[in-house]
Amino acid sequence: MSAVLEKPKQKYIVCEGNEAAALAVALARPDMVSVYPITPQSSLVEHVAKLIADGRMDAEIVDAEGEHSVLSVLHGAALAGGRTYTATCGPGLAFMFEPYFRTSGMRLPIVMSIVTRDGITPQSVWGGHQDAMTVREVGWVQIYCESVQEVLDTTIMAFKIAEHHDVMLPVNICLDGNYLSYGASRITLPEQDEVDAFMGVKDVNWHAALDPLRPMAVDPLTGGATGKGPATFVRYRKGQCRGMQNALRVIAEVHDEFAQRFGRHYAPLLEEYAMEDAEFALMTLGSMSGAAKDAVDEARAAGRKVGIIKLKTFSPFPVAALVSALANVKALGVVDRSVGFRWNCGPMYQETLGALYRLGRHVPSASFIGGLAGADITVEHFHRVIEQTEALLHGPAPTEPIWINEHD
Amino acid sequence: MGRAQNTLAFDAAKCDGCNKCLQACAQAKTGTDDIARARLQVLPAAGSFELALCLQVLPAAGSFELALCRQCGDPKCVSVCPAGALGKDADSGVIAWDGSKCVDCLLCTVGCAYAGIALDGATGHVAKCDLCDGTPACTAACPTGALSYVTTARIYNEVGDWEDLFAPGLAGCQGCNTELLMRHTLRRVGPDTVLATPPGCVPGMGSVGYNGLAGTKVPVFHPLLTNTAAMLTGIKRQYKRKGREITALAIAGDGGASDVGFQSLSGAAERGEQILFMVVDNEGYMNTGMQRSSCTPYGAWTSTTPVGRESKGKTQDAKNMPLLMVNHRCAYVATASTAYMEDLYAKLDKAIEASQTGFAYLHVYSPCTTGWRFPTEKNMEVARKAVETNFVMLWEYTPAQGLQLTRPLDDPQPVTEYLKVMGRFRHLTQEQVQHIQAKVEENRAFVEQMAQQR
Repeated sequence: MSAVLEKPKQKYIVCEGNEAAALAVALARPDMVSVYPITPQSSLVEHVAKLIADGRMDAEIVDAEGEHSVLSVLHGAALAGGRTYTATCGPGLAFMFEPYFRTSGMRLPIVMSIVTRDGITPQSVWGGHQDAMTVREVGWVQIYCESVQEVLDTTIMAFKIAEHHDVMLPVNICLDGNYLSYGASRITLPEQDEVDAFMGVKDVNWHAALDPLRPMAVDPLTGGATGKGPATFVRYRKGQCRGMQNALRVIAEVHDEFAQRFGRHYAPLLEEYAMEDAEFALMTLGSMSGAAKDAVDEARAAGRKVGIIKLKTFSPFPVAALVSALANVKALGVVDRSVGFRWNCGPMYQETLGALYRLGRHVPSASFIGGLAGADITVEHFHRVIEQTEALLHGPAPTEPIWINEHD
Repeated sequence: MGRAQNTLAFDAAKCDGCNKCLQACAQAKTGTDDIARARLQVLPAAGSFELALCLQVLPAAGSFELALCRQCGDPKCVSVCPAGALGKDADSGVIAWDGSKCVDCLLCTVGCAYAGIALDGATGHVAKCDLCDGTPACTAACPTGALSYVTTARIYNEVGDWEDLFAPGLAGCQGCNTELLMRHTLRRVGPDTVLATPPGCVPGMGSVGYNGLAGTKVPVFHPLLTNTAAMLTGIKRQYKRKGREITALAIAGDGGASDVGFQSLSGAAERGEQILFMVVDNEGYMNTGMQRSSCTPYGAWTSTTPVGRESKGKTQDAKNMPLLMVNHRCAYVATASTAYMEDLYAKLDKAIEASQTGFAYLHVYSPCTTGWRFPTEKNMEVARKAVETNFVMLWEYTPAQGLQLTRPLDDPQPVTEYLKVMGRFRHLTQEQVQHIQAKVEENRAFVEQMAQQR
């Protein structure tokens, strides 16, 4: 429940991340939302359903019989010209993988919140990034939020990013299960007319439509080894990759525009925190960044030259921005809230290794894995991360990941 | 586009040679009882009369032939007439004789291969059947039903002008009925349609298109094999929201509907989405390599239920999809067969109407010449045998009317008459045949019980 505190020109409310996301969706005026209560369910779509039932949001709602159909309903609605939204997590995301893969290939600008969860099994219904990380290579834009206000603001921006004609890709707004989804904060609620002016004109199926007024075959068979097949397929795939790279620019532009209109600034791709003279740095993602910043503030006060690179946009991976941020870093500790099974390290660490190669200079680094299945990563944990990263300046780098909650 | 016209039909098997038709014609056309002057003649079939004489009996039913004007589409009598006395009426199709122009040369009687025009000795002129202006005296007089006045090509007359919305030259297997079904369905549903054809034979024929070429004139797409009904849900609801009426149409295979796509189908039916969902049931994954689906019948060979030493064909019975859909209380559910197009059309009309307010499900049995192993020219025969043996039952259902049989059989043939016309059942043991016959009886009892509940 939210308490509304009316102040001149600003509307403040206290709400959890799920409700903030739902309010943002209402402000973005989608035509259709489709929902299914997978276990673990979040209250996000319940808030959306209530907003629609109360007449505070004018949208069709389809209570589908599973996430696979949820996303498929949105495919149809988007191809018929609708702005569309859903939310899921964990097993629901896994179940919708078949249409999930297809969404980006059809260039459908669907927005979907992932209230991130760890992956089963071991059985768990708690937070973690394993679900979103597992599907990071499927062509969706994936943006992680740090605070409840950022969830609200970024969810509004997501529609604009997705529908930008240079992007035309689906967008995941990732909010940490439990920590952001049920974490309550005081936030500022934008005015509807301001959001309307920010969003501009909706035009989501200009490129591919299922419309008797302009009949076309959508997604006919392509590829193969003969005729126009190979070139046709390459044209589509290459365009998809180009859209992802364009998104790096568009995400920054939309964040700028949002800041100008609403006065709230977020680093669009990555945030450099206390990095001006940092000798070594931590990399963080999502809600853990708050505790990391507190720890770094304390470490700085103690004279340690440590900073934070907090990723906001994970897909497309902001390689150039990261290389720039790492320019003077001599040791790096990357904190993941999920695992990468193939490289025995965190997925963000694995991706960062590629950026370090682009840097062209050896930087000792370590992979930290913590906060799995709902575990907290505290300020105290981050102090240990800072110590162990600082040790890389003088000692050998570990060959194994460091498991933050192993001895909690 | 041209029209087919009504005509007289003769069923030799029902004719016992009573001559009542000749008497009626003679009365109607000459005012006499002289049946030699009747404009049709019933004659013993070649050979049968001699045989009857030898046996000292009357010729049996089925031993007669009809000499009668066929009102030909390309009439030889008209083309050989030097005087322009014969002409075919464009509306009725009747070839009329104009006495004022006739020169009595009798060339027309030579030109006609059916003995449909002959000299009437009493008048000195030729005479022929004129169908009595649409109420033939002969058919009214026929006591056995051997002669009837039939409306031909009713479907063609009705839909001939409607646009064929599929591209010409779809790449179906030779002898496949599905192309027929697709073309008829889409021209009936019309251009304000969004068509979903999930992976299977229907898109396999090129209905969606290849490499930039479209296969239909309506918006068309491949859903995933799994999500057809869900995608159509989004499309239909979005157009409703915008105040536009379209028909959300699926033409799906049995595999995608009954197996991996069943969840989304069931969900959409439960929600009463306004969709027309047509399943083309060829009882397997025929486009993918003829594998078993849950609609494959017991005993049938498929590439994943092969015939070997340990097992011979599918060892389970088919899932009865249309009855499952009845239990969703859809706005309309019907079974149909490509061998009974008029029945199909009537159901299509109802399904289209029902899909504007709720979920309509049409389950069409479509034999597969490739996967069922029968000659390409036998498709209609196979489809018809399925119905004549009750292997397939034709019925329709609405929540208000309940289930009603649309072609109830008084005397179904044994199922072996169906099984023997194709290769996929060739290996059946006697026990397997008995199992299938028992299942046919069980299904018939179940469906008839449902039909009687109203």
